[in-house]
Amino acid sequence: MGGIAIGARIRRWDEAIGAGLDAIFPAGANPWRHLGSLAFLLFVVCAATGAYLFAVFDTSLAGAYDSGRALDSQFLGRLVRGLHRYSADAFAVFTALHLLREAARGHFRAHRAWSWLSGVVLVPLVWVAGITGFWLAWDERALYSASATAEWLAAWPWRLALFARNFATPESMNDRFFSLVVFMHIGVPLFALAATWAHFQRLSHVRAWPPAALGVPLMASLAILALAHPVASLGRADALAAPATLAIDWFYFFPHALAAAFSPAALWVAIGAGFAALCAMPWVGPRKRPVAARMDLANCNGCARCAADCPFGAVIMVPRSDGRNHPREAQVVPDLCASCGICAGACPSATPFRRRTALASGIDLPQHTVSDLRVELDRALAANVGAPIVFACTPAGLAAGAIAVECAAMVPPSFVQYALRGGAAGVILAGCREGDCEHRLGDRWTRERFAGLREPALRAAVPRERVRLVFRGSDAGPLREASLELEELSAEERQ
Amino acid sequence: MNLRSILLQAPAYAAFAAFIGYFSAAPLYHHLAADRAVVKLSFSHAAERREECHTRTAEELAKLAPNMRAPLDCPRARADVHVEVMMDGAVIFSAVEHASGLRHDLPATVYRRLEVPAGHHVFRARLADNASGEFRHDGQIEVDLAPGRVLVIDFVASRGGFRFRS
Repeated sequence: MGGIAIGARIRRWDEAIGAGLDAIFPAGANPWRHLGSLAFLLFVVCAATGAYLFAVFDTSLAGAYDSGRALDSQFLGRLVRGLHRYSADAFAVFTALHLLREAARGHFRAHRAWSWLSGVVLVPLVWVAGITGFWLAWDERALYSASATAEWLAAWPWRLALFARNFATPESMNDRFFSLVVFMHIGVPLFALAATWAHFQRLSHVRAWPPAALGVPLMASLAILALAHPVASLGRADALAAPATLAIDWFYFFPHALAAAFSPAALWVAIGAGFAALCAMPWVGPRKRPVAARMDLANCNGCARCAADCPFGAVIMVPRSDGRNHPREAQVVPDLCASCGICAGACPSATPFRRRTALASGIDLPQHTVSDLRVELDRALAANVGAPIVFACTPAGLAAGAIAVECAAMVPPSFVQYALRGGAAGVILAGCREGDCEHRLGDRWTRERFAGLREPALRAAVPRERVRLVFRGSDAGPLREASLELEELSAEERQ
Repeated sequence: MNLRSILLQAPAYAAFAAFIGYFSAAPLYHHLAADRAVVKLSFSHAAERREECHTRTAEELAKLAPNMRAPLDCPRARADVHVEVMMDGAVIFSAVEHASGLRHDLPATVYRRLEVPAGHHVFRARLADNASGEFRHDGQIEVDLAPGRVLVIDFVASRGGFRFRS
């Protein structure tokens, strides 16, 4: 019970932060809802600036320091080195925030487990890729970090103390080891790129890039920072000196400070326990899988709209198995299904105007069928004559007094037309905040369907002024306003 | 993008850039007190065998398969390495390190970073690498260790034992 209350409180904070940033950033460009894509952009910027640095930087032990100082003295060198470093720092920040936010929203179980685990694997890769980059400058900070990392590794019993000997005297470091560092600084990000590809695998319509309205100003601000506050090498590395104070990059060096404050072994235990806990999260807490959508072959014409709209790639099209004159049929992959109902909202069979036979959709949620939805709509129309009909998604927390649906995009557009013909003053679809759909794409598909840009589209004959899309999460104010507007509009029309 | 939007967003980006810029190099990290120096003990050394080799007798050889009849029987395990570092006569570090490897036949590796008060000191290191535990290697240095300087103590048996570098 306590855990549930804490979870609810964290989700409220999450929504409050998102709502606060909504007041600053344009619609659809709220950074709080693009943490993953911002991290990806910064990763790519690191790779691009890194390619330039690799071309001009002397990656030998003897030449690295002077090469870094030479970069510091040139405009382009300062800009690219600064962008490389600050993008790496921002990358670490956005990666951490992305992980925390997804954890807070419970996005680590069932159909999300793969994305979660592949994302968790990226975290140590990000750190290794970052910290080895600092070593390449081979200044006091680099030597400190390399030695501190080696001392941290020396806590293990398997002769890892040998690694620390590389940094003990000026003569013990050689070009061969430096080549290994270069290889790690390039190889680990390549491995991270492969892990990122895996991270995207069980999602469809992935938006890897943030909107330009967000990415361009972010990169501009980091470029200005690179010039206004240039990254500079410290003094030349000297194995026989241990500076009392160092200007360290806290985004990557914090494990060194923690190991010194506690002990290398304690840090290993803490990190190991933390990593194991993150990896175990998909299997702790409520174990119940969402009930998967069910395909009804008799009502499926193989149009593939459900497969196109499924946010998690849980619907695939396979060759027809019943001999009917359609080449394909939909097939649900139960392990990937989020039970959001978006597929049901996309199905052309899900029209409430069918009266001769029972309303059965080609694809449907067993626990909340399109037929159930029509029954609820009929009941609401009978109970609230002349009032607006509200469909509200349950994740947004506004279902009280409304027809609750798993996602706004579960409502087929034909239901809007049906409600208006049934005497409703208007129809409101309320859901999660824009760009923040619990099921990833519900707001986007709903908008596109209602704007006639996506099938099944809301018919042109439906008066648009009688339809409101309210994607404001748990903020009930806009929903009330939309409801009042529709009631006033209806009253004016009656007069 | 209208003026209002720019006026609202500009401080947000500036604050983020300031956050990144500040924590990329600040606050300064004090990882060593101003009046301290560092001693690094670092070596990798293969100790003597725990047991001496012995020449097999004719009877012992006869019991072995023909392809296994080596005249010498040398148990692979090596003795523990016991090392001590003293500063001005007081022991500041002492450790017994086992030989590494599944059969304990590889070198023992020691790495330790010790913080000491800066100043004039006499450092002595000694090492036992035999089954009896007797310290057979000894080294000493008298050194002025300035604040923030490092004294490295290495051990290379083939080059005469302990080597000090500061």
